[in-house]
Amino acid sequence: MQDRYAYYPGCLASLSQKELDSSTRAVCAKLGVELVELESMTCCGAGDIHEAKPDYYLHLNARILGQAEALGIPTILTICNVCTLNLRQANKKLKQDSGELERVNRNLAEVGAATYSGEVEVRHLLWEVSEGDGYERFKEIAVRSLEGLRVAPFYGCQILRPSKLLGFENPDSPQSLERLIEACGAEAIDYEAKVKCCGFPIVLAREDVALGMAVQPLAQARDAGADVIVTPCPLCHLSLDAWQQKAEKHAGRPLNVPILHLAQLLGAAAGIREDELKFKRHVVRLSSEVQDKLLRPQGAPVAGD
Amino acid sequence: MEVTLKIRRSPDGASHTTETYTVEVPETATLLDALDAVKDKRDGTLAYRKSCRMAVCGSCGMRMDGGAVLACKTAMKPLVEAGHVPTISPMGNLPVIKDLVVDMEPFWAKIRAVKPFLQTEAHPAKEHLVEAQVQQANIGKEALCIMCGCCVSECNSMESDPDFLGPAALAKAQRFVGDQREDDVARRSRLKDLNGAHGIWDCTRCYFCNQRCPKGVDPRDAIAKLGAQTFRFGSGSEFGAKTNMFAPVGTVVEPGVAHAQVFVDSTRRGGFLDETQLVPKTIGPLAAALDVPFALRLARAGKVPNPLHKHKAKNNDEVKRLWKLLEAQAREQQGLGTNHPSLIDSHD
Amino acid sequence: MLRHDVVVVGAGLAGMRAAIEAKRAGADVAIISKLHPTRSHSGSAEGGINAALGNASEDSPEIHTFDTVKGSDYLGDQDAIEIMCTEAPGDIYELEHMGAVFSRFADGRIAQRPFGAAGSPRTVYSADITGHVLIHVLYEQLLKYEVPVYEEFFALDLALDGGRCVGVLAWDIVSGGVHGISAHNTILATGGVGRMYYGTTNAYACTGDGMSMAWRAGVPLKDMEFMQFHPTTLKSNGVLITEGCRGEGAYLRNSNGDRFMAIAAPNAMELASRDVVSRAETKEIEEGRGVDGCVLLDLTHLGAKKILTRLPGSRELAMDYAGVDPILEPIPVRPGAHYHMGGVDTDSDGQTLLPGLYAAGECACVSVHGANRLGGNSLMETITFGRRSGAHAGAEALANRNGALVAASAVRDADSRIRAIFGRAGGQRPWQVREELATSMYDDAGVFRNQERLERCLTAVGDLRERGRDVVVDDTGDRFNTDLVSVLELESMLEMADCLVTGALARQESRGAHTRLDHPERDDERWMKHTLAWYDGGKVRLDYKPVTVTRFEPMVRSY
Repeated sequence: MQDRYAYYPGCLASLSQKELDSSTRAVCAKLGVELVELESMTCCGAGDIHEAKPDYYLHLNARILGQAEALGIPTILTICNVCTLNLRQANKKLKQDSGELERVNRNLAEVGAATYSGEVEVRHLLWEVSEGDGYERFKEIAVRSLEGLRVAPFYGCQILRPSKLLGFENPDSPQSLERLIEACGAEAIDYEAKVKCCGFPIVLAREDVALGMAVQPLAQARDAGADVIVTPCPLCHLSLDAWQQKAEKHAGRPLNVPILHLAQLLGAAAGIREDELKFKRHVVRLSSEVQDKLLRPQGAPVAGD
Repeated sequence: MEVTLKIRRSPDGASHTTETYTVEVPETATLLDALDAVKDKRDGTLAYRKSCRMAVCGSCGMRMDGGAVLACKTAMKPLVEAGHVPTISPMGNLPVIKDLVVDMEPFWAKIRAVKPFLQTEAHPAKEHLVEAQVQQANIGKEALCIMCGCCVSECNSMESDPDFLGPAALAKAQRFVGDQREDDVARRSRLKDLNGAHGIWDCTRCYFCNQRCPKGVDPRDAIAKLGAQTFRFGSGSEFGAKTNMFAPVGTVVEPGVAHAQVFVDSTRRGGFLDETQLVPKTIGPLAAALDVPFALRLARAGKVPNPLHKHKAKNNDEVKRLWKLLEAQAREQQGLGTNHPSLIDSHD
Repeated sequence: MLRHDVVVVGAGLAGMRAAIEAKRAGADVAIISKLHPTRSHSGSAEGGINAALGNASEDSPEIHTFDTVKGSDYLGDQDAIEIMCTEAPGDIYELEHMGAVFSRFADGRIAQRPFGAAGSPRTVYSADITGHVLIHVLYEQLLKYEVPVYEEFFALDLALDGGRCVGVLAWDIVSGGVHGISAHNTILATGGVGRMYYGTTNAYACTGDGMSMAWRAGVPLKDMEFMQFHPTTLKSNGVLITEGCRGEGAYLRNSNGDRFMAIAAPNAMELASRDVVSRAETKEIEEGRGVDGCVLLDLTHLGAKKILTRLPGSRELAMDYAGVDPILEPIPVRPGAHYHMGGVDTDSDGQTLLPGLYAAGECACVSVHGANRLGGNSLMETITFGRRSGAHAGAEALANRNGALVAASAVRDADSRIRAIFGRAGGQRPWQVREELATSMYDDAGVFRNQERLERCLTAVGDLRERGRDVVVDDTGDRFNTDLVSVLELESMLEMADCLVTGALARQESRGAHTRLDHPERDDERWMKHTLAWYDGGKVRLDYKPVTVTRFEPMVRSY
């Protein structure tokens, strides 16, 4: 873990998923990590521009990487799976193909944008706090035990696959979220769909197909007794949260599983208050029982003691 | 060395049990060698397909611990050393005939559906089509496909929609769409079909296919190339994807293209995704307007950004200029047709 | 009723090419295959396909013909060889038009690389996965022409009526049951029989079923004793490492690090003819200069870039199956049974002695390869003679079809044969007989042969044929019974082994791939003739027929 990162929150954290941004900032403050804003952040292109306009995608991401480099900060911190994959894929291309790097830099220079020389890494918050020094730091700030809370991890595709671009952990049996859940004092729930797709990329264009996917982690987590699902990706959060009632209808059964952003879970364990964690911004509300487990005052007795 | 396998047995694809077998195999043994040992020395009724044993014929796709692999390319030694007993089961998303044998006909039917043969004018016998190596690179990965089905087995979209053409058929389609020897007439005709229901825009980008493919085909990347091809011709072309919110009633809109167009438009204009446009432009203003409960739920959670207050990136002029520059360069390169270097490929 | 003008048994390159051509001729054609077409062994071919395009340097069909004749150690029929070498360029262009993705030179022309015993670089290739590319392009054409395939049907026997082949009896592997598939003309394209050897490059499916059917129907098999041992196969599982590696400059070294080919072939070195290289390697290994029973194929001096672009498939195979990265270390290799020059006796249009029966590809013996085949000529053979057989069979069927059908009694007989197998008890499992056969063949009928070894082998084969009649199955069901298939395949292999070893024992000379330590010289006076192996009440009866010499008188063969 580093002491300062170039902060890349991405589009959703800046808009509909503002709670992710506020939680991230609060947790990083506790960790003693400085988040430095980029000069001019744009969308990473998501899967859509990556697909439809691949050259534009490459340039947009090169520009973002160049801005981090211009700040003299070697690592960009991301809090979204899609941003992570997009930036890392562009980064790898630019680092490996000097001809492409030259071409992209020529174009960036022509429009007056920051150029890039290939010296930046991109890391998701999940990676930074789930192992090594970052993990130790997190354990130190996890002063509020979430004991009694049953948390189902939902990874989301693009923090795991393709592993040759991500490569942080085994995509078939990841453990980073479980480690963090346990470090929070909570119980990690295991279920098959934790590495499968939430359907977000096609939830608008092909709603039924997407819901057929979203239902799986929701139902499995619910049936395994989870209180909440936690996810490192705001798009997965949006899909599983905002579309949950539609998923219930599609599945013909109740689900009622609140979805937490990773930063919210970490923040709760770090004793951060609701006005920064902003659970109220969720469509699927947390029950008071679950909120109590998350916002229990430090040193308060655990139910069942 | 001794290997233990748990194998999902099914005499007819309807019922199944899990049986455990232990066999003695050489240290160099693959999963296929272990299955052969089980079949020869424990139970000759075990059914599975095999032929080349060198990862080129595509016969032996099956699941190990829930994820598709080629049995002949899966070394047993690391598993034995880790003390792991794998569970072997048939590939997913295809009907089971017996044990590890699946019915591949739905797979082949989708391959056939993309008209997987080169469409060119007849040429005199002695002349040949000139296609430079660099142009072939555009389809180099797609041409590696051995039709094993590992990608299809794990496709999350197909699990939810069995009619989805799927990664193998779409990668095969890109092998032709990207082939310089076909002309734009053929290309547009192909893309028209691929832009329809159960086609390109059904892919949920879960990347399971890229992850499981034993040959490095990267089917998801091929699907993305098809999307890029579609946009090269213009999303407002005969693919029926008009993105104008006020398109005439009755215009067929391909939501997947419209959805991507919103990202493109809003990013090039303001640098950021304009979320307020996303729903109505993707599913149509009428459908968006009718989904009142959904909109209310989002609004109640504060998730509907103020449409009057557009979120723009600072210095977004740079981004606008960048867009114009790249579009101009792309126009200049049009002569190369589909040969724009693919930036979508996942690299080793 | 299952009836067609032409039925092709086997869906590799030869089979598919034949079917496409017959369809083009206007015939109603179908394929029977025990595998899905793209699973056929043609797809494993790596290095390339030969044609005198003249893109790399000056070349001509005449030079290609001479190279092939010499390569065959003068046992090849020169008229057939001329046809293949003349028609090859046109066939390559046609493949290209069909969509084949060939590697190219910088100016876009089809690239050609050097290969063993070729006077000029004429091997057209697709990196090192040429077979894969070609099998998929032909399958695409099969779909385009909408040729139906009886997929996963095991051909059991030819059906005969009035001295003519009238179709095929086949077992439905998926659902069980014997079917009679009637055809005016049947084309066998069932490939080779490498699996009767312990160390082989061949897929599990290469068990000689088509040759066996033809033999039992009274068609002679030609030159059966000539099995090519490819010099560079992996010890762990026999997988082929392409000759293309040597074509790109790889060396062969013994345990002392010496390039031992300098002795056997001072000019061609590693690119001498395959039989020459296999002999040299076996000598090194047998004389104690091997490394763990292998010699070393050294690519390390080629550099990563060349290996990654031209030989990526080989690298992957070496890493997966030999645990070696050829960029960094040499690959241990040894000879393995690879290609069967022998097969069903045909003319240049694929016709056999039996009216209504054709054969093409590796299962046939025209003969274009004689006693030894050049690398790259087999892929060409499948296309050229697949096309010719298909054209001839299609046209002939359209002109003369008479509606003869496979008799119901033949179907019943075939079914009884299967049920009899299910009913056996007390015998060995197929793998036990198979392993003994394969070991005996590799040890005694391999690269180096002599009287003692061959006699021992023949006795063993005889004994194994007996035991093979009793092998039992665990699976007596109808549904996807691959246990049954392994018994049927074993029967084919045992019969073909008998033909091979009998012919090898009789041929008292060394020629091409047949090396008799006790008769080390080529003897044109007594042995420049083709061996014919006839079915004689279950036994092998040998006969001989002359070789066609047109242009090139036999000479001493050295590289």
